[in-house]
Amino acid sequence: MNDEMNGPALVRDDDELTSHLRAIVAPPVEDAYWNGLEQRIMARLETRLARGREENRWWALPARAYQFGLMAAGLTLIVAASVFLRERALERRMAYETVIETPAGQPQQVWARRGLVPDRQATLRAVTDH
Amino acid sequence: MTERPSDERDLVLAAQRGEREAFSELVRRHQRRAYSVARSIVTNHEDAEDAVQEAFLHAYKAIHRFLPDQAFGAWLHRIAANAALDATRRRKVRDADELPETVSSPFRDPAEGSELRRRLKDALDTLPERQRSVIVLHDVEGYKHAEIGKMLDIPEGTARSDLHYARSHLRRLLGAVRSGL
Repeated sequence: MNDEMNGPALVRDDDELTSHLRAIVAPPVEDAYWNGLEQRIMARLETRLARGREENRWWALPARAYQFGLMAAGLTLIVAASVFLRERALERRMAYETVIETPAGQPQQVWARRGLVPDRQATLRAVTDH
Repeated sequence: MTERPSDERDLVLAAQRGEREAFSELVRRHQRRAYSVARSIVTNHEDAEDAVQEAFLHAYKAIHRFLPDQAFGAWLHRIAANAALDATRRRKVRDADELPETVSSPFRDPAEGSELRRRLKDALDTLPERQRSVIVLHDVEGYKHAEIGKMLDIPEGTARSDLHYARSHLRRLLGAVRSGL
């Protein structure tokens, strides 16, 4: 406890000093105090844990909203893609019709419009029938 | 300083699984020592208690990172020392901003006992924070220089020289007060 360099007088002083220091920083001795401190620590811990759970719940809501938003965006993309494809198919069909629109081409147009033969085949017929 | 009961490892493991009763038992076992560590750094009982509470809250939060084969006490004491240093910093800011607190504590400060002790306490409070911590941890709590070094995150040699300066200062004061009384 004492420095090895100290002489007897200093050791005596240090003994006195140590006893005073010990008295100054002495912890409470009552068991009631320590039981109370333990309870206060555990109560603060419970409060913090409860607050943490609340914060998690607060964060969980946007997470669910985010998932929902992602699904909605996916569905919108699928619908938009199918509309785009239908539009393109319609445009292609109209382009074919423009190509095969000849005065003598009525029968081929009818086949194509009735869906009796595919567009490409109808076009081929219109060209080769001449 | 690093002794621990054989079942402490089980308590730590249980606390790591989130068992509150196990952690409560760790609090029961270590709070007095944690208080002593904190009290060596702060200048009053209230801050020491506050530091102990904060230390256990930090310990709970970080317990999943603690290796159960190590000494829980040594780990906790380092946390308590850090919490006490934080409390000291907060106290300095508060004291600079506010009037002294008038709320009375149910715990009677032992330093109020005698004139000599009161003046010694004042002198202890005026020591640089690190020197005060070192002298209390070494002379009162019985920690070795190396342990103090680890706890306060300073080299062992610094702990040794801090102890020397703190003792010299307090010895001089003790002599002066004794001759004046």
